[in-house]
Amino acid sequence: MKRQMGMGDQCLYRVVWVGAFSLVVLGIAIFAILFWGTAKFVLAHGLNQSLLGLIYEPTQGRFGLLPFMAGSLVVSGIALAVAIPLALSLAVTVVDMTPRRTETVRQILSGLVAIPSVVFGWWGLSVVVPAIRWISGHSGFSLLAAGLVLAVMILPTLSLLSINALTRVRVQWVEGSLALGATPDQTMGRLILAVSRFPLLEASIIALGRALGETMAVQMVIGGRVLLPHGLVSPGATLTTQILTDMSLLPPGVSGHHVLDFMALLLLAAMYGMVVLLERTRRMSP
Amino acid sequence: MNTKPAPDLVVQNLSVHYGEQVALKDVTLQIEGGQILALIGPSGCGKSTFLRVLNRLVDRSAEAHCTGEVFLGDTRVLDPKTDVVALRRAVGMVFQQPSAFPFSVFDNVAYGPRLQGVRSASRLRSLVESSLKQAALWDEVRGKLRRPAASLSGGQQQRLCIARALAVSPEVLLLDEPTAALDPLSTAKIEELILALRGDYTFVLVTHNLQQAARVSDVTAFFRQGRLIEIAPTRDMFTAPKCEETEEFLTGRYE
Repeated sequence: MKRQMGMGDQCLYRVVWVGAFSLVVLGIAIFAILFWGTAKFVLAHGLNQSLLGLIYEPTQGRFGLLPFMAGSLVVSGIALAVAIPLALSLAVTVVDMTPRRTETVRQILSGLVAIPSVVFGWWGLSVVVPAIRWISGHSGFSLLAAGLVLAVMILPTLSLLSINALTRVRVQWVEGSLALGATPDQTMGRLILAVSRFPLLEASIIALGRALGETMAVQMVIGGRVLLPHGLVSPGATLTTQILTDMSLLPPGVSGHHVLDFMALLLLAAMYGMVVLLERTRRMSP
Repeated sequence: MNTKPAPDLVVQNLSVHYGEQVALKDVTLQIEGGQILALIGPSGCGKSTFLRVLNRLVDRSAEAHCTGEVFLGDTRVLDPKTDVVALRRAVGMVFQQPSAFPFSVFDNVAYGPRLQGVRSASRLRSLVESSLKQAALWDEVRGKLRRPAASLSGGQQQRLCIARALAVSPEVLLLDEPTAALDPLSTAKIEELILALRGDYTFVLVTHNLQQAARVSDVTAFFRQGRLIEIAPTRDMFTAPKCEETEEFLTGRYE
């Protein structure tokens, strides 16, 4: 093969090869650097005071990460709990529309997907936080606010993926169901949703990944308190927002700087778990 | 199996438009209950539309507009007051491409009965077994009822779809080119099955295979460009067609 290539082809081949190779190296390098930092951190401080600790006071040498893990989980959980029913309702409504209208809805949603997350954060700051303040009597900066902002942020993506999942169900199946005397509702529940359960799960995992990794929109409304959250309207922090907050507090060289590596590694591991889960789900789809 | 007598099919001046486009024009025909009516004609002649009128699947096209009268027994098919769900239970349909649901063999056949609220496991099992036996598939799938329907061959899937339709005790069966995607052996099995079920159900069979129409049907109707050109007992139609157009089609002078 190679011998038959001309000079130009060979040149191009090398360029592409170098590009591909450097991407692999880059991926490994990120992981290695985080892992190295984490190892240094764990050797110095132990796991009990970090991964399993409840109190985070980096200047006092206490690096409990549980509050942030809890924060990440709760905030993403709220986002999914709010967004999934809404996206599903939208998808179920859209499936029965004419193709032209479905296309219009798709275009609108694609437009919403393009909104930068800082805009959602700003919207949360000016609408969601005051609303929660007014209802609860607390400051309004809270896990709930972050969850709601994330819910709105992932809603377009989730809706788009759900619509795609439901419209991919074959026409013959739908007509076969109707021809057996199924009402449109029965066809939706017993056939369309049953057939697309794995693609819908896939959509939820993608949305969860986006929620878990979001930083800016969350940081703007969550309140940034480093204690284990007591309730939904109490302020908190997530792994992503705490990295952002502590970047300046713990510059390189300061004791405890590598706790940032640890937090980043935890995030990376969670995201990787999500990708593995996604692959498994895809394989189960019919 | 089917205690209700197969109903007569009476069609009077049926026309169907999709927007501006005419799909069927002024079709009038009549067959007795339990007979097998074969619809033949070139592609796009309105055969499939005719079939989709009989169970009102034509309603799915928002632009479709039907006029005329269609009776299945006492049921006025096109009457807006007719309960479409009840109509579709009485009128089973099998499609050109095997349309087995991506569920197990058992769940495919049990789909219809479950819609009607049959929950009892033993009742479902006996319904599934009797329907599969009726569709001449039982011997091939017993012991494999939990396997996905997609693991069956194309011909088996098509018989599964027939079993699925039979499980809701229909009175009429609509077959839309049921063997178009099958090999000769599977085709023969489906034809045997249709002949075995003749008399218990009123059949309307759309087919591109003229020999198939000749082999299995009692009455043959020839459609062209949305019009019914000729309808006659199958034997007469194939030996001595009355219209020149029919003869040209049967002898393959145009498709």
